[in-house]
Amino acid sequence: MSMVEDRVAVPESRSDMESLKRAWHLAGPLKGRVARGVLFRFLQSMMLGLSFGVMVWVVTGLAEGRALTAAWIWQSAGLMALSLLGQILFGYLSVRASWLSSYEVAGHLRLRILEKLRHLPLGFHQTRHRGDTVTVLTSDMQMLESFFSDGLPRISQALGLPVAIFLVLLTRDWVVALATATSVLVALPVFFGTSRQLSKLGIQRQDMQAEAGARMIEFVQGMGVIRAFNQVAQGQESFRKAIDDFRDISIRMVAQLTLPMALFGMIVMLGAPLVIWVVGGRLNTMETGTAITALLLLFSMYAPLLSLLGVMEAVRMADASLIRMDRILSAPDLPEVADAAPSGFEVSFDRVGFGYRPGEVVLHDISFTVPERSMTAIVGPSGSGKSTILNLIPRFWDAGSGRITIGGADVAWIGEAGLSNLVTMVFQDVYLFSGTIRDNIAVGKAGATEAEIEAAARAAQAHDFISRLPRGYDTQVGEGGDALSGGERQRISIARAILKDAPIVLMDEATAAIDPTNERAIQTALARLVEGRTLIVVAHKLSTIQSADQILVLDEGRIVEQGVHQALLEERGLYAQLWSHRAKAAEWTLDG
Amino acid sequence: MAVSENVERSAASEVPERPDFFASLKLLMRYGEGAKPLLVLSALLATGAVVLELVPIWVVWRLVIALIDGTASAGLFASYALIALAAVIAGYLLMGLALGLSHVAAFRLIHALRLAMARHLARLPMGWFAGRRSGGAKKLIVDEPERLEILVAHGLPEGVSAIGTWLAVTIWLFAVDWRMALAAIVLAPVAFGLMLSAMGRTSRMVGQYQAAGERMNGAIVEYLAGMAVIKIFNRSGESLGEAATAVRDYAAIETEMGRQFVPRGALFYTLVVANICVILPVGMLLMRSGTLNLTGLAFFVILGANYSQPLLKLFNLFHNMAHISMASTLIEDVLGTQTQTDTGKRIELPNREVKFENVRFGYDAHEVIHDVSFTAGDGAVTALVGPSGSGKSTLASLIPRLHDVWEGRITLGGTDIRDIGIDQLMEEVAFVFQDTFLFSGTIAENLRLGKAGATEAELHAAARAARAHAFITALPDGYETKLGEGGAALSGGERQRLAIARAILKNAPVIVLDEATAFADPDSEAAIQEALSELARDRTLIVVAHRLHTIMGADRIVVLDQGRLAETGRHGDLVAQGGLYARLWADYTAAQAISLRGNQAAEAAQ
Repeated sequence: MSMVEDRVAVPESRSDMESLKRAWHLAGPLKGRVARGVLFRFLQSMMLGLSFGVMVWVVTGLAEGRALTAAWIWQSAGLMALSLLGQILFGYLSVRASWLSSYEVAGHLRLRILEKLRHLPLGFHQTRHRGDTVTVLTSDMQMLESFFSDGLPRISQALGLPVAIFLVLLTRDWVVALATATSVLVALPVFFGTSRQLSKLGIQRQDMQAEAGARMIEFVQGMGVIRAFNQVAQGQESFRKAIDDFRDISIRMVAQLTLPMALFGMIVMLGAPLVIWVVGGRLNTMETGTAITALLLLFSMYAPLLSLLGVMEAVRMADASLIRMDRILSAPDLPEVADAAPSGFEVSFDRVGFGYRPGEVVLHDISFTVPERSMTAIVGPSGSGKSTILNLIPRFWDAGSGRITIGGADVAWIGEAGLSNLVTMVFQDVYLFSGTIRDNIAVGKAGATEAEIEAAARAAQAHDFISRLPRGYDTQVGEGGDALSGGERQRISIARAILKDAPIVLMDEATAAIDPTNERAIQTALARLVEGRTLIVVAHKLSTIQSADQILVLDEGRIVEQGVHQALLEERGLYAQLWSHRAKAAEWTLDG
Repeated sequence: MAVSENVERSAASEVPERPDFFASLKLLMRYGEGAKPLLVLSALLATGAVVLELVPIWVVWRLVIALIDGTASAGLFASYALIALAAVIAGYLLMGLALGLSHVAAFRLIHALRLAMARHLARLPMGWFAGRRSGGAKKLIVDEPERLEILVAHGLPEGVSAIGTWLAVTIWLFAVDWRMALAAIVLAPVAFGLMLSAMGRTSRMVGQYQAAGERMNGAIVEYLAGMAVIKIFNRSGESLGEAATAVRDYAAIETEMGRQFVPRGALFYTLVVANICVILPVGMLLMRSGTLNLTGLAFFVILGANYSQPLLKLFNLFHNMAHISMASTLIEDVLGTQTQTDTGKRIELPNREVKFENVRFGYDAHEVIHDVSFTAGDGAVTALVGPSGSGKSTLASLIPRLHDVWEGRITLGGTDIRDIGIDQLMEEVAFVFQDTFLFSGTIAENLRLGKAGATEAELHAAARAARAHAFITALPDGYETKLGEGGAALSGGERQRLAIARAILKNAPVIVLDEATAFADPDSEAAIQEALSELARDRTLIVVAHRLHTIMGADRIVVLDQGRLAETGRHGDLVAQGGLYARLWADYTAAQAISLRGNQAAEAAQ
């Protein structure tokens, strides 16, 4: 898998206790309320225990011939009323505390993970399926939520009553008490064994669910292609395998689990015939009242334990979710130190090496200097590492070896905010957020005034078309909002870069053609953006390359030539070759 | 791209206000082909299991009576112990089997639903997707059907058996002593009344809850998609803001629903197991009045106390019912959305001339193509040009019926494309998009999209023609190289050549290139150009182009402006006319000349 995941040791399965601990830890500031929910549930089950106690007291009393007086009836009725009220009260408090805190736990954790995500190097996101991360934040979180609202309190409820009953029996007849406990003790290894197995399958299954999710997102995003190639009719759906696999592992999981789970229940309940048999054998030595007590309490002891089965599934599902969350939470952040201040805006690479994965080398020993306010164009065949050079400057990844400096300060030591103030980047793929055009431009500068936004839009040749829209700057854009043409979107992204007003501009020159009118406007807008700034551009346009102060020619991760246009042409090397290629391509026409 | 600010309107996900509580059953009836018999069997087995569960309780009651009567003996206990033993073993076997079957049924149903939905989506007009975030669609197909598991795998067998047992026990209780029976069950209707009222309160909010969930999903997808921009503008605060707001809103709605549900829901949960508190005092009173003996009391204490167990199982089901029904309602809505018409006919076409006749089309209620007519000659190159928003791409997308025209018609070889079966139309038309979309999977799999079951030799031939063979074989795994997120990274030009190879493999007589001459990768520009020339050979070619020099030689240039036909003709004539095309040509040549630095830039910026 990816380099990021290799680095992190996240266990693939855990024992129940470990999962409980991990979940407890994640409850964070809400531990108190979660604990209160569990405690109230325990008290509720104790209150139910009280009513069973009264029942045993009355039935054994009657069996032993005690007279049924009005006072006794009122006494018992009073205790029963007390038990009922107690159950209602604690039941309410428990459900309230557990449910409401579970929503908050999930909310907090979601925010914590979202926060964490932005501190991870961009590389982390590019080596994972996006659907995977989304699943962690949605489905996985729901699992955890239901664990806190339902699973955890049920554990406390399942344990409260049986323990109380066992203690009561122990005072009456220790042999019978031990007999009731025997089946539980025998069943426990089955329980934990099953639970571990469920854990392993659970995580596999959720991985597959995430896979199915990723395939589905792809399916929808590629719908145009699917339609154009009539894929569905051909029964070759890309997602088919993902949902088939998901179904199969779901069924496999059930097959491997129903048997041990039924076995656990069976073993626990086999305590009933055992206790009956033991009581029968000890009839001569024990009081009738004790025998009746044992029989009456038998099911109240086992029933809650059986409900643990349902909880186990919830715990395991939650645990699988936890492990997947931990893959994100335990990924190393981009190291963040802010104690270097650059003097000037000269960008310099000093023997920089880099690879996206361990062992892979994308850049070898790259050294060059871009003087302040000068323009450097990077050219080279595809895959030669041009865009990678750009990506290292704003620390989308950290260089593997060597140093990248801005104004003499290592970029790794400038700090996120400091670096962001220095550098702006114009991407090939324009990304607009859902929101208004104004919001999208304002991204460039926190608290920008209306006038500043408009000035930036004007400089980016965008003001005119924005004003022509019925809702002007309030027009909604973003995913789903296909209201703008590619060229218009590009100009909005330039406007936000202009608004940001950073001294260093990194640019991946757009290659996708846009209509001529837009293209002309964009060229003008870009010229405005880069005026007087340090500019590094992965260049495609002949005119751009020609006007650069310095051209770096990259091939297979190395700088093979360096200089200005005319001088490089005369070298008759790779550059001259690329140039003639492009000049020829610029003349091509499509004539059928 | 075609312009319509109305697209946003449909972006608001249409969530039904209230769930249809029978939606899940309807889905089961319609899509549960393989699941139904399994479920019936499972319910029968579960009922048997629950009846067997009652046997040990009955045994305990008989033994308590024996103890009271003084007839108890070790032998009696031993034989009853044997009965209990047999019942426990048999009961759990049946239950295990029942649950196994119901789960298999559930996963099959869910699988069938996902498949049906995905297939259905592919038949919906593209407009349906325009306003949706892809995260939302994933939720619809992956997450929502999953909710049915609880209902089908647990709810149906356990619910049916719970209700069956509950009825049987109730009758038994009434047969023994109706007054005590009343005492035993009196809390149940109260509890259920409370539960129904709690559900009523929350179901009013389920629509909002669903919408908040979808919004959160979408916001998270977007947050991740925009991560690079977020980082460069150090705007994590704000963009996190939208996602964070969505997360908080979702938590707030959950909390509000919880608050509405908890008072009554918690009371249900308590009351449904608390009937012993009523049984005992009532029993004592009746005994004192002399109308009930200790045996009778013991019976109700033992059976009555456990009477509520099956009802508790129902609780878990009800607790989820609103969400499950909402999920089912959403699924039903998607499956019920009108698909594109398909005659399924195969028609003999005399030629491959594409003709637009008075075509009108738009998104939502907003018309973007106004009365456009032109002919793309058989075997000729026809170029669609115009400023952005003029409707070029929209027009092109109408040919493979990514959308259907509102008025007028488009004919292929003289036949309305809507009369040609979709299967045939897709064989006739190949569409190459500007944004090359490759699926996760191998290169070979992606190429075979063009022709299912293409042989190795065919793949190689197509790849060669598309000038892609050389770079594919240079990859470590060649044609079996995995693509996609986490897979091999191809350059834009390489991806584009794969898309062209895919189209070549398809070998359709009509080719629509949607800005495909806009090269994602200038370094392979020449190779892509050769590939396109190869693809276009002897075919009817309709090309949306921005790089005007590429279509200088086209047989016909159709110039569009704001959805209307502005002019048509050949390059030289149009430039000479001095109209819109001439203006575009002037812009185009100017754009090529502006450099980022230097005098021209400064002039242009004035």
